[in-house]
Amino acid sequence: MDRRKLVALAGAIVLGTALTACGSDDSGGAAGDNSGVTLTMLMGVNNIYPEQQRQWFDEVSAKFKQETGATVRFETFASANDELTKIQTSVVSGQGPDVYALGTTFTPTAYATGAFVELKKEDWDKVGGRDRFLPATLGISGPDKDHEVGVPFASRPFVMAYNKEMLAAAGIDKPADSWDGLRDQAKQLTKDGAYGLAIGYADGFDPWKFIWAMTIQAGAPVVKDGKAALDGPDTKRAYESYLGWLATDKVVDPAAVGWKNAQAIAAFGAGKAAFLPMVSASSKVTLDKSTVAGKYAYAVMPTIPPGATSLPGGGVAATSILSGDNVVVAKYSKHKDLSLALVKLLTGEEMQTSYYKTFGELPTNQAAATALGADPALAAIVESAGKSVNTPFTGGWGQVQLALTNVVVQSIPDLSAGRVDDAKLSGLLGQAQTTAQEALDKAK
Amino acid sequence: MRSEDVARLLPTGVRNAILAVLLLIVLGPLAYMAIASVSSDLAVARGALWPDGFHIDNYARIWSTTNLGRGLVNSLLVAGAVAVVSAFVALLSAYVLVRYAFRGRIAVLRSLLALQSIPGTLLLLPVFVLFAGAATALGVTIIGTRWAVLVTYLTFALPFSTWVMVTYLRELPPELDEAARVDGASPWRVLTRVIAPLSWPGLVVSGVFAFLLGWNDVLFASVLTNPDTRTAAVELQIFGASQEGGALPVYGQLMAAALVCAVPVVALYLVFQRYLVAGLTTGGVR
Amino acid sequence: MRKHTSATRQGRPLWMFLPGGLLTLVVIVVPLALALYISLLDLDQYSIREWVGAEFIGFENYVEAVRDSHLPHAITISLGYSALVTLGCLPLGLAAAVATQDRFKGRGLVRSALLIPYVLPAFVVGSTWRIILQPDGIANRLLGTEGLWLNGPRSFWALVIVQLWAGWPLVYLLAAAGLQSMDTTVHEAAALDGAGHWAKLRHVVLPQLRGPVSLGLVISFLHNVNSFTLPFVLFGVPSPYDVEVLPVLTYVESFQNFEFGLSVAMAVVSLILVAIPMAVYLRAVRLDTERGQK
Repeated sequence: MDRRKLVALAGAIVLGTALTACGSDDSGGAAGDNSGVTLTMLMGVNNIYPEQQRQWFDEVSAKFKQETGATVRFETFASANDELTKIQTSVVSGQGPDVYALGTTFTPTAYATGAFVELKKEDWDKVGGRDRFLPATLGISGPDKDHEVGVPFASRPFVMAYNKEMLAAAGIDKPADSWDGLRDQAKQLTKDGAYGLAIGYADGFDPWKFIWAMTIQAGAPVVKDGKAALDGPDTKRAYESYLGWLATDKVVDPAAVGWKNAQAIAAFGAGKAAFLPMVSASSKVTLDKSTVAGKYAYAVMPTIPPGATSLPGGGVAATSILSGDNVVVAKYSKHKDLSLALVKLLTGEEMQTSYYKTFGELPTNQAAATALGADPALAAIVESAGKSVNTPFTGGWGQVQLALTNVVVQSIPDLSAGRVDDAKLSGLLGQAQTTAQEALDKAK
Repeated sequence: MRSEDVARLLPTGVRNAILAVLLLIVLGPLAYMAIASVSSDLAVARGALWPDGFHIDNYARIWSTTNLGRGLVNSLLVAGAVAVVSAFVALLSAYVLVRYAFRGRIAVLRSLLALQSIPGTLLLLPVFVLFAGAATALGVTIIGTRWAVLVTYLTFALPFSTWVMVTYLRELPPELDEAARVDGASPWRVLTRVIAPLSWPGLVVSGVFAFLLGWNDVLFASVLTNPDTRTAAVELQIFGASQEGGALPVYGQLMAAALVCAVPVVALYLVFQRYLVAGLTTGGVR
Repeated sequence: MRKHTSATRQGRPLWMFLPGGLLTLVVIVVPLALALYISLLDLDQYSIREWVGAEFIGFENYVEAVRDSHLPHAITISLGYSALVTLGCLPLGLAAAVATQDRFKGRGLVRSALLIPYVLPAFVVGSTWRIILQPDGIANRLLGTEGLWLNGPRSFWALVIVQLWAGWPLVYLLAAAGLQSMDTTVHEAAALDGAGHWAKLRHVVLPQLRGPVSLGLVISFLHNVNSFTLPFVLFGVPSPYDVEVLPVLTYVESFQNFEFGLSVAMAVVSLILVAIPMAVYLRAVRLDTERGQK
């Protein structure tokens, strides 16, 4: 048995070396004969517009073929877990998609693997120049200007939807600009079976974004200069505020302890909630088909942290994380220039405009964004795009995010019982702090 | 006491009571699945017991919202091949294990059970790395093809399949093949002409369990397949996972798709139910 | 009692092992060895691209797994719930096997129906129960209960119930097979002794089922300890504290936190833990003695 294991191990090592040896090859230019070449691009599945997405894939592929002679094949992933698994397996095996569209918060993780092309001046030129993009959207492309892997492709800032009729009926002329003010308005609006806020407490991704926003507004971001501050007083106050909406303020439907983002949107769409914070423009499709169609509007989320009436010194009036998609090119790709040509096509004014028109995601292309101009329906979203702040660019961010979410997950039983247990919350935050700091310390 | 009553294990009343309770436990959630699959999404979200209408169109719509059709074809191909091949490979190994003595036989028998204790999450990444490495070394494509999942499931099915065949073959009187061997037949001939035709129940059980494994896995299929070769389980998982992003989850369609995915395996069991009990003689474990 | 001549050593067609052996070697043994090797590496997102060159750090991952991670907690949860589920399978499986042994009209249909939960894909089972158990769901409505099943202390029992629902038919199947192959003469003997139903079951039938049923229980236990899809779909990640089972923990470490070395070390520790009862069982069973012992 032992000998067999040894042989197996030797075999594995041989295979492994063979595999790393066959890493990057030639990268033929985008010009010339590319017929027969197929690029693969990995993207998130768009479950709001599945049909349109398939059409868009065909359209891009046709256009790319016309321009370069090569074809593009699109693969989709359904969830963030699928996305991460796919990145890993591709990175470790040195084969997989040539181009990836990644959520902005995954870009640091992707950068940390070192498996994606860092864009030098000439690479930026091949995608149409770095200055074709809105400067704000480049905020999470890399740790600094000289080490960028992500090309901004779509911008999806978070805003808050509110029910105009419910607010008007309660005599509220506009949503509050502080979290405490929003809570008070929500209290006023909680009546007749409707609630002030719709929150997806069981969502795998939303909760940390609230905490992140509130702490950065308080001037004590959860991560700063490689140091975690998850056990600080401002973080705790943020959690108390966020959890308190349901537990003590009773302005959220108790069933929301089991809600994902989708169910929160559904509750708002059914007219059962006055405010729906932390949604992107993509919620528009659902809401326009719901009973609140025409009765709702978007506003930026509050920028004054809980417990304050004005922005404290050192606080940043962030309305949203810098959110959207970045496109990265795999180092193992045998068609680097073609991949960059594809990125160029995707981030060009024409494609960006049509992408916005089809999917409602804002352009990152400067010209396309300007042309979009002053659509009043978009005012809040554009404003939020301008006031978005990037999450820290560290390879440990994914774990910090998970640790932040985990605090909410473990608080759900208390939440359901209508309390925020102070000692338990402190304990959870202490653990989260340790996890986060360890992850940051490991970052290279 | 009449002779047919001699073998009775339970009084009719007790038996019926037990069966009623068990059937309720089993069929309750299944019935809910069926009801939910023809309910509106809102009714399911509310926890309504009866559908607010009969939304049979859920069954029509799943074929356009998902690629379930292609997934089912892939699953049938992969799981079907796994079932047939693993039953046969298991028969080969089991025959040697039962009829011949050799050093390490006991270790192999034990490992048939021991191998089942290895968690899939442990092997996922190494299997992937290995396939990728082999593909590069041999200059062929492995990952993304149906072969990748086929070989993986085939192997994972082997320990249990072989175990089933070992227990089954043990019950076959050795005089059968000894007679053939004395006549000068090769082991291969004995196996294919004498043993295999007598082993149908065992082969069916092996095959059914292997089929089940191939049909139900999500973990390996999700990284080893590409959009064209995805199995139904992966399509279903993707469909479910993508529901959490946008609008109200389409629970009705999700349940309809789940039921559609379950139908082939359930049908398989119904067809082979008789063999299942007969094939699992379990004679060797006492 | 039949006794057959012992296995022969002549003309052994050992080549027949080749297909099964090769497959097992390539797809299980080599990856397992690779996994063991990875567990000794400092393999994370920073080193994964050139993983062969990742720093060799000996048993540090194991130390971290045992000392600084949720591994001990996860082991307690995993073993605890698996044991409960396995214990629960016993009465259900036996009752079903005994109750479907006597001939009656529609027996085939009942037998098939009882097996359905076992053949359903774990993903289907998970999604269905997730909907049933949500706060506004049908379970709370029917039971008249309130609150959470998918988080908090009740989630542990939710996991036990769902896993039991999905898993018990295996024990039933093996017990039924055992009953089938039982010698009919014991019934006559019992009848002659004038034993009642209960006495016959207790003293004649059940003892004979010990072999197949314990095999079923062992397989069921292993299956539960290693079950990933069901808890993952049912509770999501990060998993609630009360249902933080081993496979989900290792999955998160590996596929969300990119801590491959640590994750594999965790999985190896759990493998060792499972191997202990396994070894005890394997020693206790006579797997390999003469054939056809009846």
